[in-house]
Amino acid sequence: MSEIATAADDQLWVDKYEPTSEEDLAVHKKKVQGVRQWLLESLEGGSNGKLRKYRRILALTGPAGVGKTATIRVLARELGFDILEWRNTMDEQYSLDDDYGEYEGLSEKFQAFLARAGRCHSIFSASTQSQPPSSAVSGGSSVSSASQPKRQIILLEDLPNILHPGTRDAFHDSLNAFVGAGEFGVAPMIIIISDTGVRGEGGDGDVGSSTNAWRARREAVDVRSVLPPNLLASPFNPIAPKILRKALQTLLRSRFAKSTGVSASKEVIDLIVDSSNGDIRSAIMALQFACIHDADAQSERGSRKGSKGVIPRALLEAVTRREQSLALFHLLGKLLYNKRKDDPPAPSASAKDIQRDRDFDSRLQNPPPLPPHLGEHHRRTSRVDALYADTPIDASLLSLYVHQNYSQYCETMEQCDTLAEWLSWIDASGGETWQQANPHHFHLLALSTLHSLPSPVVRRSQKPYKPVFFDTLRRARNAEDALGDVRNWLLHCPDQTEEGRAGGWTKGDIALRSGGVLKARTLSGMRAYVPPAHKLFSRLEWNKGAGDLSQLAEGDDVDVPDAEPFDDPEWADGRERRSESEGAWQDDDEIEDIEDFED
Amino acid sequence: MSLWVDKHRPRTLDELHYHEGLSARLRALAASGDFPHMLFYGPSGAGKKTRIACTLRELFGKGVEKLKIDQRVFMTPSKRKLDVNVVQSNFHIEITPSEVGNYDRVVIQELLKEIAQTQQVDLNAKQRFKVVIINEADSLTRDAQAALRRTMEKYMSNMRIILCANSTSRLIAPIRSRCLLMRVAAPSPAEMETVLHHVAAKERFHLPDEAAQAIVADSNGNMRKAVLVFEALKMQSTDLTGSLAIAKPDWETYCAKVAELILSEQTPARVMEVRAKFYELLSHCIPASIILKTVAECVVDRVDETLKADIMHWAAIYETRMRIGNKKIFHLDAWVVKVMSLYKQFFYGLDLSGFDE
Repeated sequence: MSEIATAADDQLWVDKYEPTSEEDLAVHKKKVQGVRQWLLESLEGGSNGKLRKYRRILALTGPAGVGKTATIRVLARELGFDILEWRNTMDEQYSLDDDYGEYEGLSEKFQAFLARAGRCHSIFSASTQSQPPSSAVSGGSSVSSASQPKRQIILLEDLPNILHPGTRDAFHDSLNAFVGAGEFGVAPMIIIISDTGVRGEGGDGDVGSSTNAWRARREAVDVRSVLPPNLLASPFNPIAPKILRKALQTLLRSRFAKSTGVSASKEVIDLIVDSSNGDIRSAIMALQFACIHDADAQSERGSRKGSKGVIPRALLEAVTRREQSLALFHLLGKLLYNKRKDDPPAPSASAKDIQRDRDFDSRLQNPPPLPPHLGEHHRRTSRVDALYADTPIDASLLSLYVHQNYSQYCETMEQCDTLAEWLSWIDASGGETWQQANPHHFHLLALSTLHSLPSPVVRRSQKPYKPVFFDTLRRARNAEDALGDVRNWLLHCPDQTEEGRAGGWTKGDIALRSGGVLKARTLSGMRAYVPPAHKLFSRLEWNKGAGDLSQLAEGDDVDVPDAEPFDDPEWADGRERRSESEGAWQDDDEIEDIEDFED
Repeated sequence: MSLWVDKHRPRTLDELHYHEGLSARLRALAASGDFPHMLFYGPSGAGKKTRIACTLRELFGKGVEKLKIDQRVFMTPSKRKLDVNVVQSNFHIEITPSEVGNYDRVVIQELLKEIAQTQQVDLNAKQRFKVVIINEADSLTRDAQAALRRTMEKYMSNMRIILCANSTSRLIAPIRSRCLLMRVAAPSPAEMETVLHHVAAKERFHLPDEAAQAIVADSNGNMRKAVLVFEALKMQSTDLTGSLAIAKPDWETYCAKVAELILSEQTPARVMEVRAKFYELLSHCIPASIILKTVAECVVDRVDETLKADIMHWAAIYETRMRIGNKKIFHLDAWVVKVMSLYKQFFYGLDLSGFDE
């Protein structure tokens, strides 16, 4: 290690340069303001002091690394309150000769924690400095950050296992009890939930088959399963590139003001910003890594010229999360361009490329001639060697990408037909237990794509798109939650004299039949209430006009108005084919909201 | 304020407006103390569930209306967890096993066994048995039906089953023979008008006859649909006079437009456009098989006679695949592509023979 990594420096930058004031915080100002407002209202009761009892629980949600926790910590410092944190304990030791007798489950502990957190208010405040935390709250250890012992909030980041229905119910009960406890003496609570993406396979099955197989079970933790339905959440969005870049630069300035060392170049920062998808934590990690590397290289070689920027790029690709996306990009390109032996070279290809292709072709053997009745299946030898072993992509994800993009590369309906038929067949084959782990799916998919596409593929500067699938899935889940809300409302209408039996309403009925009435009621104004969420499933607008508009704006290489290009237009620089370093190819990232952020 | 459909739903057998003979029979059955397993069947919106609820009320009294909704978790042999929504009172339990698709057998077995093993402990209860209502019985798998058949005999002493289905044709014969079959026919237009006028009277306004006729004509004997449409119309125009525009649900209009897209142009670019529309429908929780069915019907309406069979043939194939497979959109898409190429080939008078693999 170079001189940078001295003893004072062994911390991770993420911890070392944790934001200390609101200015350092790379979160959108309005969001911080909203959280601050809430905190003030919950601690002091707002302008007329009556809001306290309505400000009991705040849920912050958003992808990992967007600064949810950092916001709370900064505000804690600024407004001067203590953070009381729940941690799930794993180090439970219970032996037979234990004095405590019976075992206390995690949910009981959690309940006890909530109850005591309120009552033990003064004890914590009195001895924040040196008290071993778990003595006060048994089971879960509570960590109180040492600062002015005034007010407290309870921070829940490490949630009990809410995927288990029993635990979830217990958790909801304790939250409800907490809300019901009123404002006296009990600190407000903040819950932080990181969104976890759902993977491609298996997810869609629940969106609704004919037999109304609605999503049977939530695979991932989301706000709705964490909170009982009556509480409010405040979503955080990924950090916009501009804000992120500024934050990284500030960090670098504060670092290299004191110690000597080489700061990362602007190019590197851009690279990191692009690749982080708004995750500031991973961005800082990558930045630290990049700087260490630079320093190393410098101490070894003395001076560096020319090569600068090349090494970091290769290196950063290894550090950042893009390995999978890069492979996906290459693989998709290989499959969809369907290069075969003796393809005419691209007009832009250099002589060297042409020569290389020719060398490659000479090593390929021609396939044996097919009998006449199979003549339609004749293809020239493929240059593609899509090997399963090389690719960290699973067949399910790849099939979604191929499916989203194949039609741009087809010339005739027959080609589309063969490929669509194959995709459908592959998806339906193999049976339930095979779906996840079938290694043949990948080959089937790759080979059938190559076989079906025209050869050579006509280049019209097609752009690969991200599958709309994930977005659809997400929206369908929201709509389904709305269905649930409406159904609950139908079953428990306030004005029904006795517990009504709304009988016939299944979710399918509601989705298919109730739209008209719900819409009419909404239009008629407030005199007939319906849950507003019904719009998510009852309103479907035919957006042909809007589609045409965006098609014109995008240029003539975009065929589908509704398809979202896999790159955010903001980062587009007009190159025909994007270089691999720019694609943001995580299957779970959500970057549409960035514009809102930069307003 | 609840919807009119729920607000004015009859709660006792006396309040029912049509099929009086059926009501009388049900009343007699409930009084006889010898209540059989029953199977209610008939078209949707005819009032099957309403009649079941009224019968329960007759059997058990008001207590049966105290409902709670539960979520039960079942475990399949392969350790997969299934969540099922269960509506129950002290006297009955209502499930829709088809919600869990192919695992309905597990749900039926576990749940029925559990109920059958618990005796009615309430001494004031009018009947010694509990009732299990199984909705959408005609979409039960063969396995589940077989499991049901055994249970129906075994636990007769403290449990009765009421099945609710659209038609009996998909139920296996042993089940049909173990039940008392009750056909609930769709109401006649006159009966529907009576009901609409009754609702209007309850809501204290006058319903013009023309409006009632228009609503009835639109609803095809589906009482629920009629009342829903009625309420929607009333919300839009208070006096219900003049020409009434009865709007279809958004998704139906949307599907019709998709069908038009398919038939107006057959190119790979259009495939992508249609796919985007399908995604939009799916994201509004419209089940994929309903989408396929509706679009296919619209397409079939507008093509030449010779193509109709092929189009439906492929719709059937892709619907099966959809059930087995994972990603609905692939199959919807494949069907569209198939229809487009069939249509195109027909249009250019090409040879169709090679197409039926």
